[in-house]
Amino acid sequence: MIEVALALRMEKIGKAFPGVQALSEVDLEVGQGEVHAIVGENGAGKSTLMKILAGVYQPDAGSIHLNGVEVVLQSPLEAKRQGIRMVYQELNLVPDLSVSENIALGRIPKKRGLVDRARMDADARGVLSELQTKIVPSMIVGDLTVSQQQLVEIAKAYASEPKIIVLDEPTSSLSEHETQALFRVIRRMSSAGVSVIYISHRLREVIDIADTVTVIRDGRRIDTQSIDGVTVEKMISLMVGRQLDEVFPKKKVPIGDTILEVKNVSVPGRCEDVSFTVRAGEIVGLAGLVGAGRTEVAQAIFGLRRYSRGQVIVGGVSTHITRPRKGIKAGIAYVPEDRKTEGIIPSESIRNNISLAVLPSLQRAGFIERRKEKELAQQKAHELGVSPPLIERLANTLSGGNQQKVVLAKWLAAKPTVLILDEPTRGVDVGAKADIHTIIGELAAQGVGILMISSELPEILAVSDRIYVLHEGRVTEEIARSDASEERVMRAATGGGLS
Amino acid sequence: MNGALVTDLGFALVRYRVLVILAVTFSVASIWVPGFFSAGTLSLSLDRAATMGLLAVGLTVVLLAGQLDLSGGAILAVAGITAIGLQESMGQIPAAFVGVMVGVLAGGLNAFLVVVLRINSLVATLASMLFIRAVGHYITDSRPVSGIDPFFGLTVSRPIEGTITGRSLLFLVAIVVLHFWLTRTVSGRNMFAVGSNFVSATASGVRSRAYLAGSFVFSGAMAGIAGVIQSLSVNTGSPVFGESIVLTAIAAVVIGGTRLEGGRASAGGTLGGVLTLGALTTAMEFQNIPAYIQQIAAGLILLLLILLDQLVSRRNSRDVGLRSLVRRMKALSRPHQEKERKHISHEN
Amino acid sequence: MTEAMPPVPVPVASRVLAQSGLTRVRGWIGLPAGVVLVLIVGSILSDKFLSVSNLTNVLISMSIVGLIVVGMTFVFISRGLADLSVPATVGLGGILVLGLQPSLGSLVAGIVGVLAAAVAGFINGGLIGWARVNPVIATLAVGTIVLGVAQAFVGGVIVYGTDTATQDFINSRILGGVPVIVLIFLSVAALGHILLSRTTIGRYTYAVGSNPAASEASAVPVKFTRAFAFLLTGALGGFAGVILGLSLQTARPTLGIGYEFDAITAVVVGGVSLLGGVGSIPRAMSGLLFVQLLTNIMVLQGVPSPVQGIAKGAMIAGAVALDVYLRRRGGTQ
Repeated sequence: MIEVALALRMEKIGKAFPGVQALSEVDLEVGQGEVHAIVGENGAGKSTLMKILAGVYQPDAGSIHLNGVEVVLQSPLEAKRQGIRMVYQELNLVPDLSVSENIALGRIPKKRGLVDRARMDADARGVLSELQTKIVPSMIVGDLTVSQQQLVEIAKAYASEPKIIVLDEPTSSLSEHETQALFRVIRRMSSAGVSVIYISHRLREVIDIADTVTVIRDGRRIDTQSIDGVTVEKMISLMVGRQLDEVFPKKKVPIGDTILEVKNVSVPGRCEDVSFTVRAGEIVGLAGLVGAGRTEVAQAIFGLRRYSRGQVIVGGVSTHITRPRKGIKAGIAYVPEDRKTEGIIPSESIRNNISLAVLPSLQRAGFIERRKEKELAQQKAHELGVSPPLIERLANTLSGGNQQKVVLAKWLAAKPTVLILDEPTRGVDVGAKADIHTIIGELAAQGVGILMISSELPEILAVSDRIYVLHEGRVTEEIARSDASEERVMRAATGGGLS
Repeated sequence: MNGALVTDLGFALVRYRVLVILAVTFSVASIWVPGFFSAGTLSLSLDRAATMGLLAVGLTVVLLAGQLDLSGGAILAVAGITAIGLQESMGQIPAAFVGVMVGVLAGGLNAFLVVVLRINSLVATLASMLFIRAVGHYITDSRPVSGIDPFFGLTVSRPIEGTITGRSLLFLVAIVVLHFWLTRTVSGRNMFAVGSNFVSATASGVRSRAYLAGSFVFSGAMAGIAGVIQSLSVNTGSPVFGESIVLTAIAAVVIGGTRLEGGRASAGGTLGGVLTLGALTTAMEFQNIPAYIQQIAAGLILLLLILLDQLVSRRNSRDVGLRSLVRRMKALSRPHQEKERKHISHEN
Repeated sequence: MTEAMPPVPVPVASRVLAQSGLTRVRGWIGLPAGVVLVLIVGSILSDKFLSVSNLTNVLISMSIVGLIVVGMTFVFISRGLADLSVPATVGLGGILVLGLQPSLGSLVAGIVGVLAAAVAGFINGGLIGWARVNPVIATLAVGTIVLGVAQAFVGGVIVYGTDTATQDFINSRILGGVPVIVLIFLSVAALGHILLSRTTIGRYTYAVGSNPAASEASAVPVKFTRAFAFLLTGALGGFAGVILGLSLQTARPTLGIGYEFDAITAVVVGGVSLLGGVGSIPRAMSGLLFVQLLTNIMVLQGVPSPVQGIAKGAMIAGAVALDVYLRRRGGTQ
């Protein structure tokens, strides 16, 4: 019997860093043309495993075999030479060059020693049309939207005829359309014999696209199964090692008066005529596809972005918030999407992070009252369950979930009456996610009005009392909790038609 | 007044600002300097700017790569001193050649400091500038050095066939070569990539650190050439030459549209910037405007242009200035390839 | 822009160790040890070195630069890169205090000098904080303009002052032999330290230098904070020029040339990072002390000034390279 060699076999991979065993005895087998998903909590070891495959790290133990031949991937260049391509979430594009130059970068075709523009553009056009995007090769990458850039990134990996492509959270900035287009490409690549390793927190997508799924937990491979018969709950329980609701159950909370009213707010080019209300104790979800304008609305309310028309009424008082400081004074707090760049100050202590937004209230004649600051920080860190609750430690020593808690603590210190959360559980592991949902519930019970932007349908459905759906900058529907369903929300988010 | 028309006009003015500035400057110059547009005056104007222009060509590449090189003036001085000082023992042409080599070596020093020791280019070239300038003072005992034949250098500064001088020709050739390299060669496009996003370029297989090093060596070489030519033309090597030339050269490059943060550059722009400053200097000198007023004018123009650039910058949402500079510096000092975080944070 | 976190689940304990243990200790001990080392080496090389008079001279020569260093520290920590307009503000201060002395008296003329320099700093701050111009270009351009203005003001000549009373006072010693200049410097340094470490604006300076985007989103006045560092440096430059002018009773526009490099050298050697978010006044002052002691040793040894320049250049390079090296070893920021 002829045994077809596996495209990739990682055998008993082990890797340790000072103080922690990141991976132990991890096996991974991916056949040619197989779409193999890897799921696991944050910190489980997925990215370490992939970095070893990418040649960034060297394993302490174990071996890697490509098509039956053992290889040593000593460097990213070596991994590339072996036909392994990585597409990370953090884009690897050059903003000032064109799309075709980016796709060709590193292997720009030459004609008589000079750049062969014609061929470069033709190559790019070919790849882009396969991906079914309207992106034109001559466009400058820096002018593209984030989701377009991500597609160019994928085009770039694909264009270099890889044997194995690793996609790390590829759909996080993609609209539903683009996700489906991506899936078509993945299926095409897989039928062409390219192996695809797909890493995602979006378990429903995993079921949709993958052939096989491997669950990693605490640096070990827990299970590998063919995707048939695998459910989201099953994956979660394997990831977490315990039965857990993906989302914390919702408590019944008394709902009060309207505390935030947004009327006909327009941000040129991003959203138009957006109106909604939030009441005290209520959790209002803001759903929509990526790029629908939700973050822009939130930023406009909080003063991080200018809006051309419309009114914002907080607590019955019409206010025009032009910068965040005014937003805080009006009782609004906005927890941004990207905690790494907009949330925490990594080189400062937890204490300094927590007090940052409210320093004016902690000072006397310009001097910071240390005792008051310390008390505040300790109290908030304790309330939110920051672990470990040592406020003098630097923020960059914390895990992602704990960092998110610190960001939340900072904003809760401002005692807002309206709390706007923008993707609060993105990139956060299941355990911390549950914590954050609990905190949100408790805040609602205290009478805070909460506006939550989330791209995760299950989360929005489970947590919200009411859901507004945005589509291409406009509010298309307002759905009460009792009437809400994934289909209804998705339909409104895609403009009512089929996506 | 049609609002849209005004805005459109404004936009057009800024996009083609190099040409606009050039036109304005030439107009002012022609008012202040009677006979400005005569071949002789124009040629003189260009010649005066050519030394600075050579430096500007080198700086264009360095700025494109996202770095700074403040040591050009010092390199200019020492290269000139070498070219003159070695004339007796070596003969003029070999001495000149060694002078250029000094520039290359100095560029290599900068490359070492920035690429190998991973020192920020601002600090590194500041340090090397102090160092090289001090070397110049040391070897000449702070006194100018004279060459053996004052007529030798005249070939450089005399108009060829009654048109432009040898020096100007050299500058123009350099501009043409630069343009060609930037737009048509793979290495030129790679340099854009390195300046625009160092980490991404590296991840795509571009040898970014080599490119950075190369940009400093090139800039040093150009400074060396400029220094040799300068010293030959006046038959003197002096440790105080080139003291404020770097700012003017950077101004010319920036006026020409090259971005300080890297990733955008234009040879034509640099030419425009050099011509502008050259015309301005000529006009002001003709009016006997003292040097310090000229400096004020140059400073003001530079500021105005930069402000205009900010106003019209297409990349409003992208990092302009500090952030991208810092990102690049951090990228250079990371132990292994850490990807730049562009939008969504994520933890595995 | 934040430093990317290592995507590896290193347990908190070891990460903290990596940061607070080894690197912090190294950070604490490194510079003071260096100063002690220099003192030892200096005393070996020359018996005049450790004398009170020599060390006092070092302190005096340090004082003017020290005023600039205070401002430059703010600039560095707020990630303002550098203020290259220092020669201009110093020159402006010196010229104005002596130029206006006959009509306004030394004190008022001095205040005018500081205010004028503060205006220059204000312009810098506006360009850098609000118009987002690159600080190197902005300060160079403004510096050139201001220097030109100062030269135009006096017609390019040297200004002479006549107030010997003030001159004597500034050059005198009080409180049992402490030079007035040194006292002025130390007071300013102390005030600067308190401002940076204890006040809101100081905290904002660190935040903005470390992560401007997160600071903005956290309602920190980023533009103002950035501008403030340059306003401060401008005013301090003017103040330094005023003191220098009063002490010498002569001033020319080129009075301040070189001070910016000396200040940057001191700050860099002191371990205050160009990338912002890290450092303090005491550290910058240790750097200044180190550099000044080293220069003093060279002077005592009769090292020619070009060679001193060479040494200074090498020192900056060495200090920054060391800082980069230590950061890489530390792992996290």
